[in-house]
Amino acid sequence: MEKQAYIVGVYDDEEPLIEAARKFKDEGIKIQEVYTPYPIHEIFEIQNVKSRLSIAAYIYGWIGGLSILAFMQYAAVLSWPLNYGGKPENSFPSFILVTLVFTILFVTIMSLTTFIGRAQIFPGKTIDIIDPRSTDDKFIFVFPKEGTDRQKVESLLKSTGAVEVYDR
Amino acid sequence: MYKTEVRGLLVEGGKTLGDVTRDVMAPLETRSPNWWRVVFGFASLMSIWGIYSIYITITQGIGTWGVNNTIGWGWAIINFVWWIGIGHAGTAFSIFLLVLRQKWRTSINRAAEAMTVVAVLCASIFPALHMGRIWNFYFIVPYPNTRGPLWVNFNSPLFWDFLAISAYLLISASFWYLGMIPDFASIRDKTTSKVKKAVYGFFSMGWLGSSKEWIRFEALAFVLGGIAAVLVVSVHSIVSTDFAVGVEPGWHTTIFPPYFVVGAIFSGFAMVMTLMIIIRKFYRFENYVTDSHLNAIARILVFVSLIMGTAYLTEIFLSWYSGNRYEMFTFFHNRITGEFTPQFWAMFISNALIPQLLWSKKLRSNITVLFIISIIINIGMWFERFNIVVTSLTKDFLPANWAPYHPSLIEVGIYVGTLGFFTLGVLLFFRYIPMIAISEIKGVMKFNKTKAD
Repeated sequence: MEKQAYIVGVYDDEEPLIEAARKFKDEGIKIQEVYTPYPIHEIFEIQNVKSRLSIAAYIYGWIGGLSILAFMQYAAVLSWPLNYGGKPENSFPSFILVTLVFTILFVTIMSLTTFIGRAQIFPGKTIDIIDPRSTDDKFIFVFPKEGTDRQKVESLLKSTGAVEVYDR
Repeated sequence: MYKTEVRGLLVEGGKTLGDVTRDVMAPLETRSPNWWRVVFGFASLMSIWGIYSIYITITQGIGTWGVNNTIGWGWAIINFVWWIGIGHAGTAFSIFLLVLRQKWRTSINRAAEAMTVVAVLCASIFPALHMGRIWNFYFIVPYPNTRGPLWVNFNSPLFWDFLAISAYLLISASFWYLGMIPDFASIRDKTTSKVKKAVYGFFSMGWLGSSKEWIRFEALAFVLGGIAAVLVVSVHSIVSTDFAVGVEPGWHTTIFPPYFVVGAIFSGFAMVMTLMIIIRKFYRFENYVTDSHLNAIARILVFVSLIMGTAYLTEIFLSWYSGNRYEMFTFFHNRITGEFTPQFWAMFISNALIPQLLWSKKLRSNITVLFIISIIINIGMWFERFNIVVTSLTKDFLPANWAPYHPSLIEVGIYVGTLGFFTLGVLLFFRYIPMIAISEIKGVMKFNKTKAD
């Protein structure tokens, strides 16, 4: 994997990081990526990143639920009807539990698949770790070297409390 | 939306973010302690007995068990329900508390979920063996087959059970693993060992902790959490329908689903308490699993114990109030008095009375008392399942059907074996997986600051 050149700003706390992200946004400088040891919701808002996974999951729920109901109808009524003590073949109330559990199972599998696809998280992925401390106790801003006003970024990083600024 | 009030300090000892990573990683980086090796050896012996018993059961059939025509469900089903019950708490813990945004879950959820996964695996052994011909196990999967195609009976609680438990196992395992991805990445980036870097790096699936990854991670955790919350209620309700749908005195009642769910949460929380005390004591995690965490679990236990007591009394009251002589016989002459008196009272005292001691703040803050009570609850919950399964079956409507039941050594062996498997699973978890959710603890540490201000 070809390593890109970056300017990296390191913070050691969450609060200055959020303040800095706001300042960069006001100045109109785009931060390419923020790496943090835990999720920070203010950063999501400032960066305007959103996830539509819950909408997808809702749709998966409908697909899963309706398909299992259709399948049970097919198996128990059309394909091989059996008489269990004279009970109706399409016994809707007692199909509900299977519908519920299968829907949950389907949503889980599909959401996981969507997550893996969208976030590109899979075993054996080759990655470019910018700063290994970002999964430990440091919060990191990354700017691409190309097309970034180096001096402005560096002074903004320093004035907002970055403990380190370096090129990589 | 994300600001909820917290109780006390969530992490004590003035820890920094770096300290959290180092402390939680410490057991993974050092040699396993001597007690760990001793317990591991002991649990292996138990597992060997279990594997031997399973081998005998498969090769010679369930005639090697103490079950007979009258008591078709012996220890196997008792232990199945018991293990599933224990397996419940992990999900109840991490998911109910996640949905309710309770921050104190963060120190405990990882261990609780590990317990869930291992306990559900142990539970699944029993119904599979009880089928007799385990090699025909796949008949229960509804797929187009050469037998007709003959489909499964979608109206049968036994099929619901199969589906519910497979789904539960898959979902709780995925939820558990998902939570571990950022922590594996922390280990990958911090460890000095090359082997560990490669192994944890593989399992961290390329996690970097960018905000795009985090927001999707959180969205997925909430989707899985939200739908698995339904499973906490549904799985044990479905297990209870195995009984409630059967026309046996003492089984055929509508109280069973809530009664089973509450019982499951009760035994599971007791097991979480046992595990957390062990983790706290032996790995010196007092700063993460604080007194207030144990206090919170103890308060939940005392409350759930009240519900259990109410459920027991309701059952007894209804057997009298219904005017049904078979119900009356089962409860008053086969449980409260009669052949199974010791088992009934062991259940009642351990589950409904002894946990009431936890009303006292002094006892609640005594770790030894908490540990003993948590063990007593799990023994009591085992007796509850014994009462349900055995007392109803030994003496049903026709005295001509009555038969005694004594478990064989093979049945006992399988149970002891699952206890061994469970212990081995938990020990491996202690050794190779961060016991406390590193990234989640870090996420709630800011609430410590506001509290200290």
